[in-house]
Amino acid sequence: MNRLDRFTDPNEKLLAALMLAPAFMLLALIVVYPIGKLIWNSFFDLRLSGGAGTAAAFVGLRNYADVLQDKDFWNATRNTVLITLITVPGSLVVGLGLALLSNLPFRRRWPVRLALLLPWALPLSFVGLIFAWFFHTDFGVVNDVLRRGGQAESRMWLLSPNLAFAAICATVIWKTSSFMALMLLAGLQMIPPSLYEAAEVDGASRWQQFWQVTIPMLMPSIVVALIFRTIAALQTFDIPYTMTKGGPGNSTQTLAMLIHNTTIDYLDVGYGSTMAVCMFVLSLCVTALYLRRMGREQ
Amino acid sequence: MANVELRNVAKRYGAVSVIEDFSLEIRHGEFVVFVGPSGCGKSTLLRMIAGLEEISGGEVLIDGQVVNDRPPRSRDIAMVFQDYALYPHKNLYDNMAFGLRLRRTPEAEIKQRVGDAAELLKISHLLGRKPRELSGGQRQRVAIGRAIVRQPKVFLFDEPLSNLDAQLRNEMRAEIKRLHQRLGATIIYVTHDQTEAMTLADRIAVLSAGEKMQYDTPDGIYNRPAATFVAGFTGAPPMGMSACTLSDGDVDLGGGARIRLAPALLDRARASTGLKFGVRPESITLGPVGADDAQLAATVALLEPLGSETLVTLQIGASEFVARLPATFRQPVGAALNVYIDPARIHLFDGASGVALR
Repeated sequence: MNRLDRFTDPNEKLLAALMLAPAFMLLALIVVYPIGKLIWNSFFDLRLSGGAGTAAAFVGLRNYADVLQDKDFWNATRNTVLITLITVPGSLVVGLGLALLSNLPFRRRWPVRLALLLPWALPLSFVGLIFAWFFHTDFGVVNDVLRRGGQAESRMWLLSPNLAFAAICATVIWKTSSFMALMLLAGLQMIPPSLYEAAEVDGASRWQQFWQVTIPMLMPSIVVALIFRTIAALQTFDIPYTMTKGGPGNSTQTLAMLIHNTTIDYLDVGYGSTMAVCMFVLSLCVTALYLRRMGREQ
Repeated sequence: MANVELRNVAKRYGAVSVIEDFSLEIRHGEFVVFVGPSGCGKSTLLRMIAGLEEISGGEVLIDGQVVNDRPPRSRDIAMVFQDYALYPHKNLYDNMAFGLRLRRTPEAEIKQRVGDAAELLKISHLLGRKPRELSGGQRQRVAIGRAIVRQPKVFLFDEPLSNLDAQLRNEMRAEIKRLHQRLGATIIYVTHDQTEAMTLADRIAVLSAGEKMQYDTPDGIYNRPAATFVAGFTGAPPMGMSACTLSDGDVDLGGGARIRLAPALLDRARASTGLKFGVRPESITLGPVGADDAQLAATVALLEPLGSETLVTLQIGASEFVARLPATFRQPVGAALNVYIDPARIHLFDGASGVALR
């Protein structure tokens, strides 16, 4: 049913439409137009490197066909999905631990919560640079700790494909756990203490209380945090870009980095837009899955 | 079913003492109500019995066993919370079955017990629903059902009716009373509502500032209050009280209003430092009931018709007292009349300590 139908007086209907118009226009300007333009561009061979006078040629679905056969695209997709699959659960587990820790009845809670906020407040590229130094082969603190622990040989963290991938995942988890923890802390504080008391009287141990009360009660917060984190993880760019620039080779290149390279470095806007549409569809599918699950639980 | 004993129990938060040296015994199958104003320590006591609050001193015994160091799950108690504390993500069946499942009760027995409790509480048709789909009264029934299915030694109720509207509160109060009659369980019930306490309890513990003011039957609490606090806390409207003096063996309320005292009470009154006079609203009558009734001149100050009766505030001597008079009372405000008080039904308290003189 048209929501405006509730207004029987035509003048009221017009007024309601006029009042809503600015919000609709703003939404159209900052959301609908860029997405529409992106999809539009993906149907064109639109390269800005061809010099003046090069017209965009409509190519239909050719860009999509090319993307599906592009090894770099699939490599970047694989890396992006792997980073998502590793860092989202990773940050959920670490974030939940931090949230539970900071929810303990400390006499002074603010230092704990400040410590929780700090990683979140740091810019992504800054975190990437810091951790690039942490994982530096010769001067990094990680190798230093390993050496002190008896590891004779320095590991080339950012120069070996698997180690670089692991280093990036660890950095992403460190950076994003605080966001998870903040979301989950808010959820934890919404749980009435009487539920724990009731569970205690019912006979639940601490462990049973965690699984039977805390986790189910936190589920809405967990799902919201997972949606945000998954969408952000699918767009991972800054940390691998500042730590490895996608290397060694293209072993840590993500979809966002490939799109950036294609559109900004190679100025191939049409093909870059096609990959961006693919990434957008991937994000939409994941979000829809989460929302469907959340709707089913409610 | 079990008895519960509190022996010199104390509760302190750092340097602040909330309860000190509190002792009380609750017999098998008894319905005991802790009543008192907010902050008097009644819920703290209940939570100490439940094991949800640490005990700073003294001992809590359930069925003769000291349970101070036992966690709530090992005390064999069930508790009904003020906010119901139902698990929102579980349906009613699972809410009620939760405690039994934790104790690894066979599923067939769980089904039987939950079914019986649900039938008793008339919620069988709601078992598949989540708590958010229920009204306040239905949630309260589920909370009680969750306690019943456990078949614990002791039931603890922490202000279970305070979130309900007046009508529902009356209905649920009657249900809880019926439930006690049927189960014969030991129940400890906390409330700030003296009507709930009077109607439900076998015995009432009236508390004030962490101290037990009186522990008695509802009849004892109402008719033989041990102190001015108890007298003023019970009854609706509560006992009318006023400072008084002794004059030739009479209680003198000022303005010529005097009531002859029994000789035994007179001796006690003479030994007291200051006196306080108290009379229940229904003890003031329009005509003499007995030969010894004192006749007092009064003036109508306020009329509060309740339909079945009228509460009349009367100026007697220098003070005002509320009388519970028949609904047919038709005197206007300002009217002068004579009222009668049976000297055997008056209460005298020590002016300094507030303790009743008997």
